[in-house]
Amino acid sequence: MSGRKDFSQDMAFLIDMTKCTGCRGCQVACKQWNQLPAEKTAFFSGEGYQNPPAMSEHTFTRIKFRDYQKNGQNEFAFYKEMCMHCNEPACASVCPVGAFEKTPEGPVVYHSERCIGCRFCMIACPFGVPKYEWSKAFPLVRKCTGCHSRVKEGLEPACATTCPTAISYGPRGAMIKEAERRITAHPDKYLPKVYGKEEAGGTGVIYLTALPFDELGFKPVTMRALPSYTWQALRLVPGIFIGVGGTLSAITWFQHRKERIRKAQEEAQGTTPTAAEDSANDHKENPK
Amino acid sequence: MTPARVILNEIQGYHRFIKFLIFLVFLAAVGSAIRFIFGLGATTNLNDTYPWGLWISFDVVTAVPLAAGAFTIGVVAHVFHIRKLEPLVRPAIVTGFLGYSLVCVGLMLDLGQPHRGIYVLFPWNWNVHSPMFEVSMCVMAYTTVLFLEFLHPVSERFGWHIPLRLLRNLQLPFAILAAMISTLHQSTLGTFFLIAVDKLHPLWYNPLLPLQFWLSAIFTGLAIVILEASLVHRYMGQPDESDLLATLTRIIPWVMGVYMLVKLYALLVLAEGPFFDRPVLTTLFIAEVVVGLLLPFWMFLQHRIRADKAMQLRAAGLVIFGLVLNRFNVSMFGMILPGQEIYAPNFLESMVTVGIIAAHILFFVLIAKYFPVFEHHPETVDYTIPDRFRKIEGAQPETKAASHGG
Amino acid sequence: MTNHWNDIQHADVILCIGSNPAENHPISFKYVEKAMDRGAKLISVDPRYTRTSSKADIYAQLRPGTDIAFIGGIINHALKNDLIHRDYVVHYTNASFLIDEGFDYQDGLFSGYNAETYSYDKGSWKYQTGAEGRPLRDPSLQDPRCVYQLLKAHYAEYTPELVCEITGTAIQDFTAAARTLCETARPDRAATIMYAMGTTQHTYGTQNVRSYAMLQLLLGNIGIAGGGINALRGEANVQGSTDMALLYHVIPGYLKSPEITDLGLAGYLAKITPKATDDKSTNWWSNTPKYVVSLLKAWWGEKATAANGFAFDYLPKRGGNYSFIMLMDRLQQGGFDGLFCMGTNPIVGGPDSLAIGAGLAKLKWMVAVDLWETDTSVFWKRPGVDPKEIQTEVFLLPAASSVEKQGSVANSGRWAQWRYKAVDPPGEAESDAFIIDQLYRRLKDLYAKGGVFPEPILNLSWNYGDGHEPDIEMVAREINGQFTRDVEINGKLYKKGQQVPAFAALQADGSTLSGNWLYCGSYTDAGNLMQRRGKEDPTGLEMYHNWAWCWPVNRRVLYNRASVDPDGRPWNPKRTVIAWNELTGKWEGDVPDGPWPPMNKPDGRYPFIMNAEGFGRLYAAGLADGPFPVHYEPMESPTGNLLCAQQTNPAVRPPAKLSNREKFPCIGTTYRVSEHWQAGAMTRNLPWLVELVPDMFVEMSEGLASWKGIKNGDMVTISSERGNIQARALVTSRIKPLRIGGRMVEQVGLPWHFGFAGLAKGDSANVLTAAVGCANTTIPEYKAFLCSIEKGGIEA
Ligand SMILES: Nc1nc2c(c(=O)[nH]1)N[C@H]1C(S)=C(S)[C@@H](COP(=O)(O)OP(=O)(O)OC[C@H]3O[C@@H](n4cnc5c(=O)[nH]c(N)nc54)[C@H](O)[C@@H]3O)O[C@H]1N2
Ligand SMILES: Nc1nc2c(c(=O)[nH]1)N[C@H]1C(S)=C(S)[C@@H](COP(=O)(O)OP(=O)(O)OC[C@H]3O[C@@H](n4cnc5c(=O)[nH]c(N)nc54)[C@H](O)[C@@H]3O)O[C@H]1N2
Ligand code: SF4
Ligand code: SF4
Ligand code: SF4
Ligand code: SF4
Ligand code: SF4
Ligand SMILES: [Mo]
Repeated sequence: MSGRKDFSQDMAFLIDMTKCTGCRGCQVACKQWNQLPAEKTAFFSGEGYQNPPAMSEHTFTRIKFRDYQKNGQNEFAFYKEMCMHCNEPACASVCPVGAFEKTPEGPVVYHSERCIGCRFCMIACPFGVPKYEWSKAFPLVRKCTGCHSRVKEGLEPACATTCPTAISYGPRGAMIKEAERRITAHPDKYLPKVYGKEEAGGTGVIYLTALPFDELGFKPVTMRALPSYTWQALRLVPGIFIGVGGTLSAITWFQHRKERIRKAQEEAQGTTPTAAEDSANDHKENPK
Repeated sequence: MTPARVILNEIQGYHRFIKFLIFLVFLAAVGSAIRFIFGLGATTNLNDTYPWGLWISFDVVTAVPLAAGAFTIGVVAHVFHIRKLEPLVRPAIVTGFLGYSLVCVGLMLDLGQPHRGIYVLFPWNWNVHSPMFEVSMCVMAYTTVLFLEFLHPVSERFGWHIPLRLLRNLQLPFAILAAMISTLHQSTLGTFFLIAVDKLHPLWYNPLLPLQFWLSAIFTGLAIVILEASLVHRYMGQPDESDLLATLTRIIPWVMGVYMLVKLYALLVLAEGPFFDRPVLTTLFIAEVVVGLLLPFWMFLQHRIRADKAMQLRAAGLVIFGLVLNRFNVSMFGMILPGQEIYAPNFLESMVTVGIIAAHILFFVLIAKYFPVFEHHPETVDYTIPDRFRKIEGAQPETKAASHGG
Repeated sequence: MTNHWNDIQHADVILCIGSNPAENHPISFKYVEKAMDRGAKLISVDPRYTRTSSKADIYAQLRPGTDIAFIGGIINHALKNDLIHRDYVVHYTNASFLIDEGFDYQDGLFSGYNAETYSYDKGSWKYQTGAEGRPLRDPSLQDPRCVYQLLKAHYAEYTPELVCEITGTAIQDFTAAARTLCETARPDRAATIMYAMGTTQHTYGTQNVRSYAMLQLLLGNIGIAGGGINALRGEANVQGSTDMALLYHVIPGYLKSPEITDLGLAGYLAKITPKATDDKSTNWWSNTPKYVVSLLKAWWGEKATAANGFAFDYLPKRGGNYSFIMLMDRLQQGGFDGLFCMGTNPIVGGPDSLAIGAGLAKLKWMVAVDLWETDTSVFWKRPGVDPKEIQTEVFLLPAASSVEKQGSVANSGRWAQWRYKAVDPPGEAESDAFIIDQLYRRLKDLYAKGGVFPEPILNLSWNYGDGHEPDIEMVAREINGQFTRDVEINGKLYKKGQQVPAFAALQADGSTLSGNWLYCGSYTDAGNLMQRRGKEDPTGLEMYHNWAWCWPVNRRVLYNRASVDPDGRPWNPKRTVIAWNELTGKWEGDVPDGPWPPMNKPDGRYPFIMNAEGFGRLYAAGLADGPFPVHYEPMESPTGNLLCAQQTNPAVRPPAKLSNREKFPCIGTTYRVSEHWQAGAMTRNLPWLVELVPDMFVEMSEGLASWKGIKNGDMVTISSERGNIQARALVTSRIKPLRIGGRMVEQVGLPWHFGFAGLAKGDSANVLTAAVGCANTTIPEYKAFLCSIEKGGIEA
């Protein structure tokens, strides 16, 4: 967890789907830079020329195709799936060993050497990004690295570098401003929404589109940073721990009082304690 | 005769049910081996859409509350000092200990990097924002506590009286500690799913999930104790404890009541619909609430039923069913998004889980066979004489009975 | 391209017709979208709804092979409603020229047609001329014999209704396209046309291009920023290779190649050098002799002397048509012993590919020079043939790829950009230059031992150093040209061996040599200008004159003298390509199309300096099939010609194997996808690309699919008279049936990237296509043929 609040200087993607031609240069560039193996596909796994069927341990980004008709007009739409590099990543918050890190540059990176492979990150990610090495006996998680190694050196990510039209890369604040500029400049062309500005508490990938997001196959996501959902419970942990301990001790003390009283009386009477009472002694000694 | 021979002879003497259990456990062992050789992908139906399957939903999310008996009964007996219930404590502790140990086993199978499991302990890895971190810590801590508590009958068996004395004195603090730790992880198992905001269906998703998990763990823990005692009585010739259990049956409905209020409040006030948009989930929900909650609740309210052994058992059974279904609804069914292909555990996964359950019963029986688990009046044991370990009359027959068992 | 890639961003309207830049020229789309950000409108005219169409403001579907009808309709719309750039048309095009009385057009045929020979006697296709042969003109455009009136009459019958009957376009889409384009008739508006193979791969492909060019002339869109008619070239360096005479009918620099009838240099030069009759016309081709002689000097050096006609006799002369189709035809007749496939994969890329496969078996030997084991190089073990039956000996020479060698690559915008070697070729791979060099040296040794007419080889001047392979820099220097002796050219003295500064300095007397006059200026004494990477942009139009070098003479926009009015003032001052500075008496901006003052000034010149008369040609007598484009049907068409009695291009002889309408009711067209390259060797062997498009598919409408009971992903068989192939069905609403003459006709689209060799295999679409070509270029009619489709694979 970064614990930061200002993300305007983080490097971020602005992906303008009205400009994406579906050329898939980004998809190949990603495999090339990350040296990911090709997947064995057959025909197309979805509408248009979509392939492979999904992001996976071998595929960090993918162009989703939509090919349909809307009131007589053809719609042939493309959008780039990748890690959203959330400002406050759910993947990072749930990881028991802190294997995910929101870097100061922006990319959310994964430290495989820490990962124990519990796959909670996969459950937690609202965008279904982290994938697992199902092919291996001792699998690790795989996902878009945001090309952190390039970004650190002042380069743009491989996909952004390759993209001829749709991807801009720069400080998140500037990207959002640019997105809003485009919307106001061409209200006819864009849906008046900057996706990723608030989604999941704000992401490092920002989308513009002409078509409704649900129509493109975007799943609904909350506008709140996901870690806050679990944190609201987890922050109570110490309190509860002490609380429960305290109450139970109190109850114990109270519940055992009678016995102490009886014991006292018996001693007064000077009767020799039975084995049973003897053991009660042990009890009695505890609270001291 | 070599020790091996001894063991073999011993095993030959077992009841065929036990042998069957051993067989199941063996299968599971083989299954686990296969999993490690060929990997999760090849051997399970898990995939990127279903990173968590049967092993998490049952072996962890469900098994943990099922093993809650140990701490609940501990609290009731020691903290609330209802001493007559103490006989129920030890068996519960053994079950708890086995339960948690097997949870760990389940986790090890499910982890991609089991050998790194302990990384969670390394301070430089700590992530207090992670429910998983918290649960792992608790489970490890609690398993240790249970282990220590379990040493009790063990040292009794071998007459290590000093540890015995020590343990005896720690009994109460342990009971409290157990309750503290359990409260945390039982509830945090619920916190797991708070992150699944847009995945878990509104019927189950709400901010009070942790509280509900904790409460349901408590009354189910007690229900388990009932189930266990009754079965033990029925199959292992232990004396009938139903009068003791009746006490529990008076406690359970109270907790259930609170639970139901919380659940109701959460649904009506905190959760945002649509609730009944998906028939299958609706059905599952109704099954969970009506059969697994309202019905046993009503039953426990009836004096007649509380008094009746058989009915006690049935009601407890329903409670347990309710909890299992609830945990599956939350961790599996409720997480299936519309239009997603459905996950069903494959043979190997199921085999392993069955094996784990079998192991639980098996070890319980065996432990009961060789250790004084059903020590009816522990305080009647005299620990004062240091030189030799001796029991007074009366305890004997039970231990024998135990050995006949199975 | 008349313009260049960066210039597309200055357009107000972009017409993508017969091209699919989003998929096949992805980088160009950067500039398309830059223009759109400025509010430009994008029009996509394509039979299929493509990735380009998905970005377009207007999409007009049209039937493959009906571009002339479509554009004819727009020309008619422009003329009828007087939506033309009148000043431009009057001053810069031959609209005002009077045409010979003998010329006329009747029901699809022009005067002078000979049905036996499928050819025209073009005698009557000429301007009326007056004193000393000057063309007669009527600037008022009233004379019924003036090009403008003839044009108007010619396209009057292309009414929106008839056009849409023919093209199958929805009438509102057609009119939307027409309106939007004609808005650019205003001097301050520009439209660009991006075209490619959808335009050219037809039996009247050249006329398709003509129709676009004519529209642009009428709208005053040639020579200006954001305008022009832009061929999106194909192979990465195909511009360079055509400049260097890849095609049989030219020698380097688009000089007409000599024929066996050309007995001497003088006669040849006289034949190919056009004459101007108007002193205001520059008639640049009048320099032809300088270029031919300089070329001969480059090739035969000292051995090329005035005495021997500069070794003109050494130059091979052609005895007919050596176009691809003809060569393949001859191959099938067993007309060749050997074949070099140097960077080509004809058994996948050529039309009627089964026949080509059969032809290859008639070869004694074949040399394949390639990066990969191409389908062609393993034709002898292709499915269905028995290698034992094939005697051809095949040599596969591994070639170095573009990143494994240095040299220039010329893009569609004519920018020659130098590329450096990034890595060494793997294994035994060698550059093409090395292979050619070795070939030459060995041939020379053989000829040294004797042979018929050895001189051309023995006397070849081949001075590229004695390194492992020819020194490419030296080759580049020779292509630019050098002085062969000390000469003085208007006051300036040049030493022997010095680089020629520009083609204006080339001489016809043998004092200069130049491998390609167009590239003269690319490698001067200043060095290798193709290596420049200067980013200065004084014009603000992103011409980047210091970035690489572009022919001719680093001029970025061709015909830029037409971007100004006759007094030299830019039509659109906001986007000034060039402007005449009255004070300095000089042009400013881009390198002008010649230094002479604007037309209206004393000794000013007409803008279209490459045409003898100096005017843009709305009427072009040069082509084989008529001065005006006429709508004809493709060789294989589902319908009769709704426009005129002439069904197909009268200048094209129908081939033997034709699919008929009854048996093959569907229109078939072939095209590319972003994910694969051409005949596929380069991409079907790359797992990352195979992953994206793993196997051969055919796109079809939902209607056709349900009619044939085909579901998405099903294996289907597509058949034509040439053969049948199988492919996976891609059922999509992007493909729609067309209403032709009131009847619905189905079309299917096939990528042509697949073949039987490589990592990803599939049937080649060219099994289906017909070996018939354009009347002028003989480019095969890949884009329109008839086929039928059935459920189930071939086995099934
Ligand atoms: N990714 C990729 N890019 C390439 C190539 C490649 O193989 N792969 N090849 C390169 C080469 S060599 C070339 S020549 C270019 C070719 O570039 P393009 O010409 O763009 O390529 P095509 O897809 O063959 O044809 C373009 C469009 O013409 C449409 N069309 C078909 N018939 C007609 C018609 O009659 N009229 C009109 N108006 N349109 C028609 C087709 O539907 C297709 O969408 O691409 C170059 N770029
Ligand atoms: N049906 C149909 N058929 C068509 C077309 C169509 O639109 N439809 N388009 C036509 C067009 S436009 C074209 S251009 C042709 C193209 O037809 P081809 O040129 O035969 O197709 P390519 O696959 O580009 O072949 C180029 C080969 O050169 C190799 N190569 C690459 N670099 C080098 C190098 O540096 N040196 C050497 N020696 N080899 C190299 C590549 O590996 C590849 O095998 O196809 C035509 N065929
Ligand atoms: S998208 Fe998912 S994986 Fe990526 S940063 Fe956000 S939560 Fe983590
Ligand atoms: S799988 Fe690895 S990265 Fe993901 S949560 Fe578990 S430990 Fe962290
Ligand atoms: S940022 Fe890097 S890793 Fe992520 S999709 Fe782009 S190229 Fe792939
Ligand atoms: S490279 Fe850019 S344009 Fe091409 S598919 Fe990717 S995002 Fe779209
Ligand atoms: S493949 Fe090369 S030439 Fe073609 S568009 Fe892409 S970058 Fe340009
Ligand atoms: Mo081409």
